Amino acid sequence: MTRRSSNILTYIFLTIVSFVSIFPLIWMLIATTNRSVDIVAGKLTIGTKFLENYRNLMVSQDLWNFFGNSVKYSILTTVCSLFICSLAGYSFEIFHDKAKDILFKLILMTMMLPFVALMVPLFQMFSKLNLLNSTLGFLLPSLSTPFLIMMFRQCAKSFPVEIIEAARIDGLNEFQIFFKMFVPTMKSTYAAATTITFMNAWNNYLWPKVIMTKSSSQTMPMMLSSLTSGYVTDYGMLMLAVLLTTIPTAIVFFVLQKNFAEGITGAVK
Amino acid sequence: MKKIITFLLTMSMVFSLAACGQGSGDNVEGKQGGEEKNEHTLTVWAWDKAFNIYAMEEAEKIYQKEDPDFKLNIVEVSWDDMQTQLGTILSSGNYSELPDILLMQDFAYQKYVMTYPDFFTDLTESGIPFSEFPEGKLGSSMVDGKNYGVPFDNGTEIAAYRTDILKEAGYTLDDLTDIDWNEFLKIGKDVLDKTGYSLLSVPATSSDFILQIVQSAKGGIWNEDGSPNFVENELLKKSMSIYKELLDTGVMTRGNSWDEYIATFTSGKTAGVINGCWILASVETAKEQAGNWGVTNMPSLPDVQEATHYSSQGGASWGVTTNCKNQELAVDFLKKTFAGSIELYDTILPSSGALATWSPAGESKVYTEPQDFYGGEAIFELITDFATKTPTFETGVYYTEANDALAVAATNICSGGDVDQELKTAQDTVSFNMGN
Repeated sequence: MTRRSSNILTYIFLTIVSFVSIFPLIWMLIATTNRSVDIVAGKLTIGTKFLENYRNLMVSQDLWNFFGNSVKYSILTTVCSLFICSLAGYSFEIFHDKAKDILFKLILMTMMLPFVALMVPLFQMFSKLNLLNSTLGFLLPSLSTPFLIMMFRQCAKSFPVEIIEAARIDGLNEFQIFFKMFVPTMKSTYAAATTITFMNAWNNYLWPKVIMTKSSSQTMPMMLSSLTSGYVTDYGMLMLAVLLTTIPTAIVFFVLQKNFAEGITGAVK
Repeated sequence: MKKIITFLLTMSMVFSLAACGQGSGDNVEGKQGGEEKNEHTLTVWAWDKAFNIYAMEEAEKIYQKEDPDFKLNIVEVSWDDMQTQLGTILSSGNYSELPDILLMQDFAYQKYVMTYPDFFTDLTESGIPFSEFPEGKLGSSMVDGKNYGVPFDNGTEIAAYRTDILKEAGYTLDDLTDIDWNEFLKIGKDVLDKTGYSLLSVPATSSDFILQIVQSAKGGIWNEDGSPNFVENELLKKSMSIYKELLDTGVMTRGNSWDEYIATFTSGKTAGVINGCWILASVETAKEQAGNWGVTNMPSLPDVQEATHYSSQGGASWGVTTNCKNQELAVDFLKKTFAGSIELYDTILPSSGALATWSPAGESKVYTEPQDFYGGEAIFELITDFATKTPTFETGVYYTEANDALAVAATNICSGGDVDQELKTAQDTVSFNMGN
C-alpha cells in the first residue's frame, strides 16, 4: 500500500515536471497558428493563422537561404571537428608521453577563456586573411574544441590496449587501427559528440554575427534576432521561425538519442 | 610509419579544407562583389524590414530616378547584433568592414561619436539642410555643435488614450490635453474608480518614462563635466515622485517585460499609453479597438516654469561612416531623399507609419489626412507639430548605464525606498561604470 501510494506520488511529481518541461514547446506550436495580438493576450488554443504566418515569414525573410547556410555550416563543422578532435583525443591517450600531457593540459586551459575575449583578435586575424563572410571563417574557430578532445581522450582510456597490440601484430598500421578498430567501437561516443557539436554549431550566434556582415551569409539564429528587432514584433511569425530553427537539432538528437546516452556515460560495448 | 602518419594528417587537413571549398568560393565571389561595387552602390546596415529598411528601399527608388545605376545593398542587422559587430570592428581598428551608411539609435549616437571620433563622417558642412529638422531631434546626433547624422524616424512623445473608456468615465480627449501631472492623477483616479481601467502603463525594465518627463521640463541628467547629476536634480526627484504616486494610486500599472507592457493596451487592460509616437504601430495591432483611440500631448511637470507638454523617446538617424569610399554620393543620396524628398515621406507614411522629422514633409497633404483608427483625428500633423516644440535632451556617452541604474532606483523607490538614498546609489553606480 505504501509502495503504491509512493508510486502515485512519483507519477504526480513526474507528470508535473514533464508538463513544465514540455509546456514551452506546446506553447510554441500553438503560437505558430495564432495572430500576434492573440499570442500576446495569452491565447492557448490552436488558431487558423499558420499559413498566414508562413507566408509572412517567407515574404519578409530569405528563409531557405538562411536555413541552407545553417545546415551547411553545421554539417561541415560537425564532420571536420569530429574527425580532428577524435584523432587528437585518441593520439593524446595512445601515444602519450610527458610533453604531450603538458600540451594536453595547455589545450584544456584554453577552455577557461571566454569566447568574447578572443573575438576582437580573431576578427582582426580573419579579416586580414579575407575569411569574413566565408564558410571557412565560420568553421575554423570551432574545428578543434578542447571539450571534444578531452571527451575522446577519456573514451580512448577505456579502449583496451590489448586490441591495439593484437591489431599491430596482425599488421594494421596506426591509422587502420584508428579507423577500423577505434571508430566502430566508439560509435556511441561519436554519436554523443555529433549531437553536441551539431547543436553548438547550429546555435552558434556570437561568432557568425561578428563575421557574417553580408545578408547572403547569415544563419537562422541571426534571422531570429532580426525578427525581434522591429518596432512591432509579429510573434506568430517569430514562433514559426523558432520552430523551423528547432527542428534540425531535434531530429539529430532523436536519431542519435540512444547512442547519446551511452556516449555521455562512457559505456563501451 | 611516421611518414605515413604525416602524409595522412596532411591529407586529412586538405580534405577538411576542400570540404570548405565552396565556402571559400563564396568568399572570393563576395570579394569580387565588393570590388564590383562601383561608384553607384552603397552598403547600408539597418534593422526592421517593415520600417527602416522599407524606407531605405523607397529612398533608393527615388534616387534611381536621378541616377539609374544607383543601387543600395541593404543588410538587415538587428540593433543588438549591430552593437556587437560595431564593438568588434571598431575595437579591432579595421574599419574596412563598416558599411557606407548605417542606422543608429538616437540614444546611442553621442556615445559612438564620442568613443570613436573617427567612426562617423562630420556632415555639418555637407550641404544637408540641418536647419529643416527640429532641434530636439537633431540634438541626439550632434556632438560639440557638429552634425553626424541625418535624422530619420520620429520619436516625438505622444499620449494616446482610449476615448470610449474616457467617455464612460465622463471625460473627453480635451480634458487630458495641456494638463499637468496633478490633473492627470485626479482624472486617472476618477477613471479607475468609475471604469476599473488604469490610465497608463510602463515597462518595469527601463526608466525611459521618468527621463521623458525630465526632458519635457527641459531637464537633463548630466553635469557639464559629463558626470551624472541625480542627487541634486530637483526635476528628476519630482519625476520620480510622480512615477511613484501614479503606481501607488493604481493610475499606472507596470508590465514586467516589454511584451507584457504592449499587452496591457493591445488586450484592453489599460486605457492609455504615453511614449514615443512609434508606439502607435503597436497600438494599431489591436484592430478591434479601431476608432476608439485619440492622440494628444503629454502632461507637464507641475510647478516648474520651464515645463512643456513635449518630449521624445527613441528614434534613429542615418550616419555616414568614414569607411565610405564615395562620401559625395552618400551625402547627396541622403540630402535628396531623407532630407529633401516630400515624395519619400508621402510614400512611407501611409504604408509603414514612418513619420518624418524633416519639417517640410509635414506640410504635405498626406499629413493632414484624418486617421480612422484615431476617430478621424489628423494625428500625423499633430505629431509633426509636437516635434517642433520638443526640448533637446543630452543622452551622453553613458545613457544606457544611467537608464538601467535609474530603473533599479525607480523599482526600489516604489517598494518603499528613500528617494535621496536610491538616487545616490544610482549615481554611484553610474560613476563606477564610468570608471570614476
